[in-house]
Amino acid sequence: MSFRIGATVLIDYDGNAVQSYNFKVRRILGDLQKVLKFLDTYEVDEIHAIVPYKGKGVNNSFKIFSNLSNISISTPLGIGGGITTENIKEITQDPFFERCIFNSAIFNNPRLLQETKSIMGHQSMVASIPFIINDETLMIYNSENDGFQAIEGELYKEISSNFNEIILLDANAEGSKKGFNFEVFDYIEFPIDRVLISGGLTKNDIKKAKKMGLAGVSIDNFVLHSEYSIKGLR
Amino acid sequence: MLINIIDIGLGNVGSIEHWLDRSNLFYKRVFQIEDFTNDAIIIPGVASAGEYMRKLKEIGLDGELVKRSKQGQKIIGICLGFQLLTDYSEEDGGVECLGILKGSTKYIDNRKTHNGWDSFHLDARELSGNTHIKKKKKKIASGRVYFNHELKVELECMSHTSKLDNNITSFAIRDNIFGFQFHPEKSQRTGQEILELII
Repeated sequence: MSFRIGATVLIDYDGNAVQSYNFKVRRILGDLQKVLKFLDTYEVDEIHAIVPYKGKGVNNSFKIFSNLSNISISTPLGIGGGITTENIKEITQDPFFERCIFNSAIFNNPRLLQETKSIMGHQSMVASIPFIINDETLMIYNSENDGFQAIEGELYKEISSNFNEIILLDANAEGSKKGFNFEVFDYIEFPIDRVLISGGLTKNDIKKAKKMGLAGVSIDNFVLHSEYSIKGLR
Repeated sequence: MLINIIDIGLGNVGSIEHWLDRSNLFYKRVFQIEDFTNDAIIIPGVASAGEYMRKLKEIGLDGELVKRSKQGQKIIGICLGFQLLTDYSEEDGGVECLGILKGSTKYIDNRKTHNGWDSFHLDARELSGNTHIKKKKKKIASGRVYFNHELKVELECMSHTSKLDNNITSFAIRDNIFGFQFHPEKSQRTGQEILELII
């Protein structure tokens, strides 16, 4: 199985593609269809299309995903952000995606995770884990509270049993080239071949990730700007 | 040509339509027996075997698919669609499937999953003379294809089967039956090449 080079596309509430820097600043990138078509032509290995809710905002995801389903792409797709117990049946009725990506449900909604797993299969379950490391403590992001919290043993078990893969996003390095913080692997208990990393990745980081045997990387802004060659990285 | 896509409210029908659109092929969604044309039938993936078979039986499409397969109509099963062609699947506590291909569908060893890209090669000249495939200028589809599954097909006898290094059956072709464990509709250029070769 080959090392995967994926791309993350963030989608705002109006359905535009946006870029995010340092987990704080966002900039509109443009029309979602154009961005996805570009990535499709560029033959990235997979696309993670995320509606990044922060806090308990109005959930518009069903409409956004509905529009997304009309875009013809031949690249594997994972969707996330605003998947709820209320809309999961509608979203998965004609799944135009292969993976479901969760964040807040990791902390508070095992029912949603079980339901999704029963419809889509364990292979579809992906956890998005933005992280920071503060004073030798790993803190992971919970979008519902819009804050970082320390990770505990029980949560590791939940993540291991519910998810097939995890995406570790270095929140401090997001959107930059300052380097991914590999120290996170001192804290995370998850099979390494089921981990993708994102945020601040340099070419050397990508080589290192490949050498470590990770499942892949997601290189968001740099792919969108064509700064890295996918074929070269493969 | 009007390709049939099984649409019983389950499976990634929209993605299959996009796949066919990209090769300018015509299709229709099949909800009931009366909807079928005599062209190829696609059984999509991305659903669970128990629920899918339950709905097929409810509508009576299970028997119709078996009948049409015996009459020589081309059937293309994708991911779950491939698994449903076998006799039995371990998914959902055990499910009797269509039995169009002798064999069964089992969880991958140690309940692992298989996600990502693997290589693919199909040379139409290596297929049996009975294979329902038109003679075309282009004889080969080759490249990489996308897998995302936790069950695998184990066949008892096939005329043309391809296995990966991890012993997972990548695809199987016998006469008018085509089964793909991967997702050709999400396999970029190679996926389109496969479609244009087999249709």
